[in-house]
Amino acid sequence: MNPLILDNHIGKILSNFSNQIKKIDNKNNEIYIHLKDVNDTQIICNHVYENLNTKLATIICTDEQKTDNGFVIRYVFEKLDADIFIFIIISLEKNNCFPSIVSHVPAAATYEREIKDMFGLVPIGNPDLRPLVLHEHWPNDMFPLRKEFDLKTKVIRQEQEYPFLQVEGDGICEIPVGPVHAGIIEPGHFRFSVLGENIINLETRLFYTHKGIEKLAESMKLDEALLLSERISGDESVANSTAYCQAIEKISQITIPNKAKKIRTIFGELERAYNHIGTLGGISTDAGFAFGAARLHILKERLMQLNESLSGSRILFGVNKIGGVKCDISEGKKKLILERIDEVLSDFDKVIVMLKSKSSFMDRLKDTGIIQKKTAHDLGIVGIAARCVGIDVDTRYDHPYANYVVHNHRTPQQVMQSKIEMEKRSGDVLARFEVRINEVHDSFKIIRESLDLDTGGLFADVPVEITPYGSALGYAESHRGQTLHWVMMGEKNSIFRYKIRTASFCNWKIIEHAVLNDIVPDFPLVNKSLDLSYSGNDL
Amino acid sequence: MMEKSRKILGNHVETRSLDDLIIADDYRGKMAFISKIANDHQDLENVCPTRAISKKDDCTMTLDSGKCIMCGYCAESFPKLVKIENKCANPAKTKNQLIEYSASLEHLPDKSYEKMGVELQEKIKKLFGRSLAIREIDAGSCNGCEIEITALNNPIYDIERFGIHFVSSPRHADVLLVTGPASRNMETALLRTYEATPTPKIVIAVGACACSGGIFGDTYATTGGIDTIVPVDVYIPGCPPRPEILIRGLLLAVDRMATHGS
Repeated sequence: MNPLILDNHIGKILSNFSNQIKKIDNKNNEIYIHLKDVNDTQIICNHVYENLNTKLATIICTDEQKTDNGFVIRYVFEKLDADIFIFIIISLEKNNCFPSIVSHVPAAATYEREIKDMFGLVPIGNPDLRPLVLHEHWPNDMFPLRKEFDLKTKVIRQEQEYPFLQVEGDGICEIPVGPVHAGIIEPGHFRFSVLGENIINLETRLFYTHKGIEKLAESMKLDEALLLSERISGDESVANSTAYCQAIEKISQITIPNKAKKIRTIFGELERAYNHIGTLGGISTDAGFAFGAARLHILKERLMQLNESLSGSRILFGVNKIGGVKCDISEGKKKLILERIDEVLSDFDKVIVMLKSKSSFMDRLKDTGIIQKKTAHDLGIVGIAARCVGIDVDTRYDHPYANYVVHNHRTPQQVMQSKIEMEKRSGDVLARFEVRINEVHDSFKIIRESLDLDTGGLFADVPVEITPYGSALGYAESHRGQTLHWVMMGEKNSIFRYKIRTASFCNWKIIEHAVLNDIVPDFPLVNKSLDLSYSGNDL
Repeated sequence: MMEKSRKILGNHVETRSLDDLIIADDYRGKMAFISKIANDHQDLENVCPTRAISKKDDCTMTLDSGKCIMCGYCAESFPKLVKIENKCANPAKTKNQLIEYSASLEHLPDKSYEKMGVELQEKIKKLFGRSLAIREIDAGSCNGCEIEITALNNPIYDIERFGIHFVSSPRHADVLLVTGPASRNMETALLRTYEATPTPKIVIAVGACACSGGIFGDTYATTGGIDTIVPVDVYIPGCPPRPEILIRGLLLAVDRMATHGS
């Protein structure tokens, strides 16, 4: 990051709030603003959110009672026009509550509920304080992410009712669905309130697959947590492990070899391609067109077989390693990649032409599941769901990592064209369908351009001991959107806190808005077009 | 192979022999002991993140395939003691059968997907006189196992041609295919789905998480394996198990139904 730009931003914040700020410093592309008083949180968060062109990236809570800081909350804002993350840091010391910023930053709602469940800190002013992560069988006085809570504690189940939102009125029916669904998908509960066939309200209840990943990581060695990061969501393994590795690499100030950067890029794009093709197939299934789905699933299988020959795993487990990558791409494998993507691409184009020529199929996608731009902006939506309404966010280019910095050179004309293109996007299933098709093409293009691997090693050496209590943010763009991993090291190379925020966590909220006024049978289609991970959300 | 699938589509022939589906040489299928005696067994045990490797006596090490997640860390650290093969671990009827000893270095011959499918089809026909109905339940998996189970339904593996049908309600199911370490939040739902399935029913635990908790282990949020909640008849190891292994597990489940006489 250019130090001048960084200083400029720090100056802007300092000039307004010099009295409220205890300390301000920066490292890598992160600015840390420590506040003197907890009660100033709202004013300063509002200022950063509204005047500095940022969006809320995540809210991280840590239990630092041992080091006398009490509970520390970090509000992370991502600059939308520069590669900068602004951290607003408050320590609660002996307090058990903190001011909610929901009234100005709506995206904060679920983060605050999550903190309430996991740390037992109450967000004052948040209108919805129902349990989120821990379901009704969990007692009200146990908080898993506090340091005194033992990972293996077996808590006795208790019976309570979850207060769902009640929708009442003439002719309104309620349809509860899940957690076990009809298809081969992950568990989640959906409660529809319908008037005739139209959905007038949808309430999602998730976290059925909550596995305690963040707590578990605190008991693990660094390379074991790498395996865990791959299994946050099986189909996002490369994106999540890349983000995790980057966080550790940033803390220990290692630069990974160019070859490793390119290999990470190649695997990241392979992952995006096979998942996008699978999702397009899923959209075709849910629109009731099995033939299109069958053809796309053949292509997905071809790419998974390619994954297997390259990485030893059909879903790309075991590609990354802290400091670089594990899998080399030899000359023979390069040839295999080129051949396979050429074959897949030529078939893919034919299938897409065929799908687009079916008017009944296209009609089903058009104007279904519309996302409003304002809602998407307010809820801090990322990835495909944001790009389909013309919000141009993509971590690969906003905060270049791996080798993406070289793929971001665009002529002014191309920039204009992409802006016009973005303006046209309407936020319906069709828009998401088309964005995915474009991204499959882009992915294959990036893979081709990255294949001129440099010579040299696959990984850099990691220091034997990494400085305790150093922290950094790692990020990557999975096929769903931005995934953010924040790691704080503990003593003796342990992990003090591992905060994960995947794209699914941001995007699940939008589905409640996207299905409004659609009919119930459109729900699977809207759901598939957003392609969210339950496991990546629930952790 | 690509050429072949083009032909499949062109000729309107839906499926075709899969004997040419070969597993890549570098595929991480399972860990195997090279040496029979491990002197530095303590280190070998500790290098395994899921504690799948343990010592039985002075000259025998054991591998629990139900715990192994194929990370390959053991082979990286001890290339002289263990290696990673592209053959996969076999499904088993009991947890003990998943454990492999370093003293026995033998292997069952692998059958192709196609042969297993045909065998399965014959057995199902004989036993049921109709299709076998499967209900899949995700009890907290990372969705890796779901990707492979979905792959069973794609036109390449196309499991329906062997008379196996994925149904949308447990009321219609003969077999429950359960994935994930059984998260605490899914405990009630899993139990209720099991109870809703008519007897006789077979439960198959799919993947390392379902067999033993896998990398997620046994914590405040998980229960450390499906069998802590419902009785399990067949364990399919793997992280995730590839379609060939899933069908091998189904074959075992059908055998089990036949011997039960139910």
